[in-house]
Amino acid sequence: MPPIYLGEFEYAVLLAVLHLDEGAYAVPVRELIEQRTSRPVARGALYTGLDRLEAKGCLKSRMGDPSDERGGKARRYYTVTAAGMKAIRATHGAFASLTKGLESILERP
Amino acid sequence: MTHSPAPSKLAESALSFVVRDTDQRESMIGDLREEYARYARRAGHERAARWHFRQSFSIAVRYGFTRLFRRKPPVRWITTASMEPAGPWWTGLTRDVLYARRAIVQRPLLSFTVVVTLALALAANSTTFSLMDALVLRPYRFAGVERLMVATTVAPNDAFFDRINVTAADFREWREQSMTIKDWAMYQWWDANLSGVDVPEQVPGFFVSPGFFELLGSTPIIGRGFTESEAQRGQHHRVVLGHGLWTRRFASDPNIIGKSVRLDGEPYEVVGIAPPGFTTPDGAELWAPIALTDQQWADRRNENFGVLGRLADGATVEQARAELTTIVDTQRREHPDSNVRRFARVMSFTGGMADPGAGAFIGIWQGAALLLLLIACANIANLLMARGAERSSEYALRLALGASRARIFTQTLIEGLLLSLVALVVSVPLLAIGLGLSRASIPASVLRFIPGWSFIRIDVTLLLATALLGTVAMMVFSLLPAIQAVRAQVSDTLRQSGRSLTPGRNRQWLRSMLAATQIALALALLFASTMSLDAADRTVNGVLGFDKRNVLVAQLNLPERNYGDAETRRRFITDVMDAMRGIPAVTDIGATSMIPNAFNNTSRRFFPEGQDLKEHEARFAQYRSADSAYFAAMKIPLIRGRQFDDSDRVDGVQVAIVSRSLANYYWSDSDPIGKRFKLAIDGPWITVVGVSGDVVHNWFVRQFETVYRPLTQTAPYSVAFAVRTVGDPNAVAGDLRRAVSKVDADQPIASLAAMETLVDERAAGFAFIARALGVVGAIALVLSIMGIYSLMAFLTAQRTQEIGVRMALGAGRWQVVRAITSRAIVITAIGAAIGSALALGLGRVMESLLFGLVNINLFQLASLVAALAAVALVAAYLPARRAAQVDPMTALRES
Repeated sequence: MPPIYLGEFEYAVLLAVLHLDEGAYAVPVRELIEQRTSRPVARGALYTGLDRLEAKGCLKSRMGDPSDERGGKARRYYTVTAAGMKAIRATHGAFASLTKGLESILERP
Repeated sequence: MTHSPAPSKLAESALSFVVRDTDQRESMIGDLREEYARYARRAGHERAARWHFRQSFSIAVRYGFTRLFRRKPPVRWITTASMEPAGPWWTGLTRDVLYARRAIVQRPLLSFTVVVTLALALAANSTTFSLMDALVLRPYRFAGVERLMVATTVAPNDAFFDRINVTAADFREWREQSMTIKDWAMYQWWDANLSGVDVPEQVPGFFVSPGFFELLGSTPIIGRGFTESEAQRGQHHRVVLGHGLWTRRFASDPNIIGKSVRLDGEPYEVVGIAPPGFTTPDGAELWAPIALTDQQWADRRNENFGVLGRLADGATVEQARAELTTIVDTQRREHPDSNVRRFARVMSFTGGMADPGAGAFIGIWQGAALLLLLIACANIANLLMARGAERSSEYALRLALGASRARIFTQTLIEGLLLSLVALVVSVPLLAIGLGLSRASIPASVLRFIPGWSFIRIDVTLLLATALLGTVAMMVFSLLPAIQAVRAQVSDTLRQSGRSLTPGRNRQWLRSMLAATQIALALALLFASTMSLDAADRTVNGVLGFDKRNVLVAQLNLPERNYGDAETRRRFITDVMDAMRGIPAVTDIGATSMIPNAFNNTSRRFFPEGQDLKEHEARFAQYRSADSAYFAAMKIPLIRGRQFDDSDRVDGVQVAIVSRSLANYYWSDSDPIGKRFKLAIDGPWITVVGVSGDVVHNWFVRQFETVYRPLTQTAPYSVAFAVRTVGDPNAVAGDLRRAVSKVDADQPIASLAAMETLVDERAAGFAFIARALGVVGAIALVLSIMGIYSLMAFLTAQRTQEIGVRMALGAGRWQVVRAITSRAIVITAIGAAIGSALALGLGRVMESLLFGLVNINLFQLASLVAALAAVALVAAYLPARRAAQVDPMTALRES
């Protein structure tokens, strides 16, 4: 059973997809990450990240219906898979256990 | 830009180019359009368009870069969860191999065809490769052969000789001065007459310098080579016998060392036996030391010696070449009278020993074999693509069920690999047959002169080369179907699979191209092989200038020791002829110095009167001695003037008969009779008394310009008797042998054979290659017909439904046939056009290689095209007719 490794950015993307639930496609995912982390996200990086996560089995995608707003092109919606959830939880747990005891420093304003 | 509400098309195409996955592509372009629309509302179209353009390109670059260089996700340090089981890498491979095996076994006929096709092509290629390797690339395989050089001189602009032997004085200076070549050896041709045995025999021998055997990395199996002291006059009557001669004439006597044999009438002490297979140079069977007098060592006139040298440690061929050039240039300055036209030439041992022409022929053949392999590959690719199309729904289903494209790609490749492995195994016995046939098809008398013949066998190198070819072939023929399999669109194929449509335009185009290529290549090959068959036929059955039927030829060389006096040579010749004249079956007997198709050749510079030519300006002419009966025996016509007769005395006017070509060249506008010429710049004047027909002396030296001098005024050491008989010439062979032995019991006959045999043997190597080319051409023809038949059968099968519809709508049979064969006609036409161009190009090459022996025959090309086209059309018509006979209802219900 080879382990899944999550990078920081991948972790962020997975969390954003979780947040957006049914409406997770590239545009809002990027906006959400930019808003919450106040860091610019290159579109190219996001697409490759999404691809990679799908290849790892953390995400799955489906095509929506084409819309006029998009010049007749369909959206690609992403949802987190069970493996993806497992990976998120494991990463979260790993960070949580590392930060345990550092709350006084980390949560200082 | 302000008025353009739409995002940039260019940017979108760039993106599409990078993103191959269609869903991903659609969603990306959609995303960008969506954001573009929003941005445009806020900031206007112009800025939005710029933004869109920039974004698209940056995504394309970033995404493309990642896809290209980072196929695997980067490894990060936080271990989190696990993926589905994958197992070790070879788990999937085993499955793939098993699956491929099943796919092959399930279609036995197709697999059989593929295997046989490939095996044939592979066998043809490796047979050729083996011949090429043994005869041309590596005919000599002793240790250190790669550092062995042949040093010769060469005259500038010499049309006949690309290498000239070396004089003794020049050689001595080379040996003394050279630093880059350490060990030297020289050798000189010697037709040794072996006598003192029951039947005297002429043996090909060489005088060699001491150290010759060591230089060639050969140690006598019994006894030793020559010592330095044996190169002194008086001690030089030593001989090393060839293994073949020792076995044949001395019953492999192990105690022969120290015994004496008679060579040219003199006793020679046997000091060693050469190892089996050692026949260097030029099929030698015995070797004796060169012992030159001081006067001979000082000779700069006679270019008698072949020279070999081994590179000194650390020296390169280029250094040796440069150094020898310097030495030879100095010699040319210091001895302008003798060395003025000598330039250095250093060759590898293999290159220097090789017949300059042989490589080209085998090269043609190898090229043909490679073409055949290409045809086979195209054929197999076509077959596999047909199967690929048939299996497209299978692929689609597997893709839909989650197989990756890489998986299917790998699998198709593995199938190809398996097929070529089987073909490889099948090709080995075919290869053995090919080599056996090759060996059997050249007469032993010719083989002796072909070094490396014994290396023609199945060895590791050969098998490796075949395996390499097989793998390359596999790559060529399974890549196309594999790509096709991977590119197939799942949804499209599944949608189509229910009702069969005429297959996609793209795929048809590719397959048609393959079929056209096959026809083109086959046409070129066929043309080349008919040309060489023609040439071979012409060498054997063409116009020779003499009548080869019912002539017995005895060739012999009179040794200088017994026949040093010209009168004794003349008496020998007359005595033998007188002894033969009494035999009733003999109608004519004549003598010459050299019979057509002999292995040697003599030529002289020709100085016509009235032209003040310098030595090197004079052209060469073939030179022969003959008597008048020789012309009668060979049926060489006398065109003008008179024959030689008894009035042509030694001390009288020197006369000659010249060939028609020579007369035309020098005296085209006047009567050649009575004209005078010299055969050496300081020689006597010779008067033309007659003009004879042209004779093909041998087809390697395609020179017709010939001077015949009467035997009464010349006395050659090398003599050939031509005996014209009624009935089988071989019937008087015994008589001729007895006649010679009656005149001189110790005199061997070097060769006794019918003229017809000589001609055949001389052309044997060439005829062999021509026949082999013919075989290759025939295989190519069969393969390409198979190719077009399978293509047409497949296309027709795919269009069964369409045919049904057409016929249901009232189309007649003929219309259906026409609709289907029209494609075959186009394919054939394109293939024939390209093939004709190829064939003409190939024909040009062959014309230049075969010394004008063949000409491009357009009529022949046209008939080949017609034949090929006819066969191709029949191959296309058969499936079409079958399709047209189908009941429309069945056709519609089917598939």
